Amino acid sequence: MRGLLRSSMVLRWMLAALGLVVVLSIVQGLARPETTDLLSAGTAESTLRRAVPILLAGLGGIWAERAGVVNIGLEGMMVLGTWFGAWGALEFGPWWGMAFGIAGGACGGLLHAVATVGFGVDHIISGVAVNIIAPATARFLSREFFAGRPGGGLTQSPRVESVGSVDLPFVSGGDLFGWTTPDLFGWIDDQGWFLVSDTAALLSGITQSVSWATVVALALVPISVFLLWRTPIGLRIRASGEHPVAADSLGVNVYRMKFTAVVVSGGLAGFGGAFIAIEQTGIYRENQVQGRGFIGLATVIFGNWQPAGAFLGSLLFGFADALQLRDRTAVHALLLLIGVALAALAIRAVVQRRVRPAALLAVASASVLCWYAVTEEVVSELPPITPHVATLLVLVFATSRLRMPAGVGLRYRRGQE
Amino acid sequence: MTVKSSPTPVVELTGITKRFPGVVANDRVDLRVAEGEIHAVVGENGAGKSTLMKILYGMQSADEGRMQVNGSEVRFSSPAEAIDAGIGMVHQHFMLADNLTVLENVVLGAEPTRRGTIDRRSAHRDLEELGRSYGLDLHPDDLVETLEVGERQRVEIIKVLYRGARVLILDEPTAVLVPQEVEELFRNLRELKSQGHTIIFIDHKLAEVLAIADTITVLRQGRTVTTVDSSEVTAQELAELMVGSELPAPSTEPRASDEHVMLSMQGLSVADADGRSAVDAVNLDVHRGEIVGVAGVEGNGQGELIEAVLGLRPTSGGDLLLDGESMAGWPVRRRREAGIGYVPEDRHRRGLLPDAPLWENAMLGHQTQPPYARGPWLNRSGAREATTRIVSSFDVRTPGIDTSARALSGGNQQKLVIGREMQAGPRMLVAAHPTRGIDVGAQAAVWENLRTARRDGLAVLLVSADLEELIGLADRLVVMLRGRIVAELDPATTTPRLLGGHMTGAAGEATDDEGRTP
Repeated sequence: MRGLLRSSMVLRWMLAALGLVVVLSIVQGLARPETTDLLSAGTAESTLRRAVPILLAGLGGIWAERAGVVNIGLEGMMVLGTWFGAWGALEFGPWWGMAFGIAGGACGGLLHAVATVGFGVDHIISGVAVNIIAPATARFLSREFFAGRPGGGLTQSPRVESVGSVDLPFVSGGDLFGWTTPDLFGWIDDQGWFLVSDTAALLSGITQSVSWATVVALALVPISVFLLWRTPIGLRIRASGEHPVAADSLGVNVYRMKFTAVVVSGGLAGFGGAFIAIEQTGIYRENQVQGRGFIGLATVIFGNWQPAGAFLGSLLFGFADALQLRDRTAVHALLLLIGVALAALAIRAVVQRRVRPAALLAVASASVLCWYAVTEEVVSELPPITPHVATLLVLVFATSRLRMPAGVGLRYRRGQE
Repeated sequence: MTVKSSPTPVVELTGITKRFPGVVANDRVDLRVAEGEIHAVVGENGAGKSTLMKILYGMQSADEGRMQVNGSEVRFSSPAEAIDAGIGMVHQHFMLADNLTVLENVVLGAEPTRRGTIDRRSAHRDLEELGRSYGLDLHPDDLVETLEVGERQRVEIIKVLYRGARVLILDEPTAVLVPQEVEELFRNLRELKSQGHTIIFIDHKLAEVLAIADTITVLRQGRTVTTVDSSEVTAQELAELMVGSELPAPSTEPRASDEHVMLSMQGLSVADADGRSAVDAVNLDVHRGEIVGVAGVEGNGQGELIEAVLGLRPTSGGDLLLDGESMAGWPVRRRREAGIGYVPEDRHRRGLLPDAPLWENAMLGHQTQPPYARGPWLNRSGAREATTRIVSSFDVRTPGIDTSARALSGGNQQKLVIGREMQAGPRMLVAAHPTRGIDVGAQAAVWENLRTARRDGLAVLLVSADLEELIGLADRLVVMLRGRIVAELDPATTTPRLLGGHMTGAAGEATDDEGRTP
């Protein structure tokens, strides 16, 4: 069993997902009269949709950092993605919008690459510069292109159309050659069976009316893994991020690898931005990225510089984001979940005989549970910051076992050691 | 005398000149390497060996001169071109990415592909075949970070062979190896030679050079001094060719120590980041006027031991006494003020601020004491005077005390560090690799300083990887292995070989009874 677990990634992931559903089911059961949104089709659907931009930013971060470049400019590249996405969608249609968003983000990536790789500028400084330049550019372009149009202005575009969506046939009532197949998950969800219905709700949420852009974004996870770990260029990119001098000594063009990776990184972030504008809001609005680029960067660390890990992280943040938008009582129920999770960590610490962490975790767990018990609803300031608090918590608990590319953030000049 | 029937040389460099700002690294250097020989290039640090090899390998380009490989004129602007011409290089500092596997490191830049993906299966096969035919034992799927130094070097050699190199350049390959690993390497090199490869071997350890090389070219100050057949020279002659004068060597002198214990480690243990014991219950006394040498393969707890003495790293057990007084709970500052001097292992990272002027560097570690401070304030004029004294009495060659430390050569930087510590009049000096990477002249000066200080009653704890330095300087030698002291030896009767045996644990129980501290 253990051998099988180790050998099969897929199995391990499925088990982890199942465990999560069980826990959520139980918490949902405990909090039943109060909220039903912790595990519903709506929440699952919303989680996935909110996770996509973060996932794309995370993938962008992985591409750049695997090549040794810190890309704190993801945020700005996403901003470029939102503007160019909306503009492209307005002028040529939603798919063109996605393409223009990617190109816009890639331009931001190119700027970052020229500064950091070409001129050896500090990666953080260049990234911050991109983050400052991008919104200013977007504002300028809005004045030029959106201001005169109906519904458009200095800070927003006219409404744009979204790309189509798809239902999975047979399980979520999708069409197959013009025939409407049954909605199996929806039916099970309605039965109200403990755990089974919850699982069906979750699956229904992620298979019903899924945007095609989401499908493309999800496909980018295995595609990134394939490109970075199975192809020569991927190996060269990773080697450039680990030990650029070694790569150079074997005839790898380190500059070209870093440029490529950072431009791809910007393109992914731009895709994420375009997704926000075209799919999530249907409009370009100033400041609509709201720090997702930075959260994407956090998922890079959370996911240990692995695409699958970043995907998991983005789902977590997407979940917190979805909850705070949909239902404040659900956030309250989430306190219960956090309390239980902290208690579990405390027990693990006790088993491992680590006294101080155990005590700290126990106290934290008790206070969160107390908070849950004595309040009806969380303070109104809490829900909007849930994703950010979740980010912090996750990073605090996950940082000890991380292994970042050895050459990240270092200035590389050929011929200098 | 074996007359070299000079066949067409595989590699012929003529009149190679390379200038860096302020120095001429190579000044019309000539080198002729015949096919199938092991050709050593020797010279002091800074003699231009590494630069010459980097030029041959296309990592740097020569300002003047001609290069011929297999009789045809070449000009490499990148290593890729050198690789194509059949030249490969094993660097002194391994060029390996730790987080990649052996296989990935080897195939990088020359990946076999199958439908766009890396063909791991055929790469696997090729690696194992190479390993078998040259006796280089490796597991392709191991992560490089898990490998020992000797194994990493084998990865480097495989990397070069995988690219089909016929000429291998090895830049100071033995610098990081213990004697037993050196023998293993030499076996590998002879195997390569027997299969027709040509090897260019950079080194400055003469005994090794004489043991392995067929032909030796000596460089001094960027110039070719001569090329000789290795059977025709002695180590002494080679050494004189290298330095161009009488050779300085650490020589022992009667010990000046008394029975007064200056530093005492009593069951000292230090835990590393994972909670394992990096230093494990070490008992060691350093007496006044005594140099105690600590030998060991790097990473066996010497670094942690030193950091614990300085207070840079918390101890996990045992006690540390300075002059009979327990230092438990003392912060670094108090230990320094109590008279512990420190010559750190890495002067660039720990010893100096490269971009600060010398007089600021001279204050570091003593910035709370006169002459560098007056009350809570720094005393600029006092510091400048003190720095001037250090510069003159320790022979730091610099245009002035306002020069930044970066501008000094390694040897002069080190003299400044030593001078800074000695000037403060320490009771106890902790020195880690004090002569690493500096030229012979500066090395002799550092040795002389340490000897003088000992004569004046200074207690010295000396950690070094240079076994001759340890044997030559120390009054007592201890060997650390996996955090423990496994042997105590008398430098007068020990040899580098014997020391190497203890360092790797190969000497084992046979010498344990006599070797261990009573």
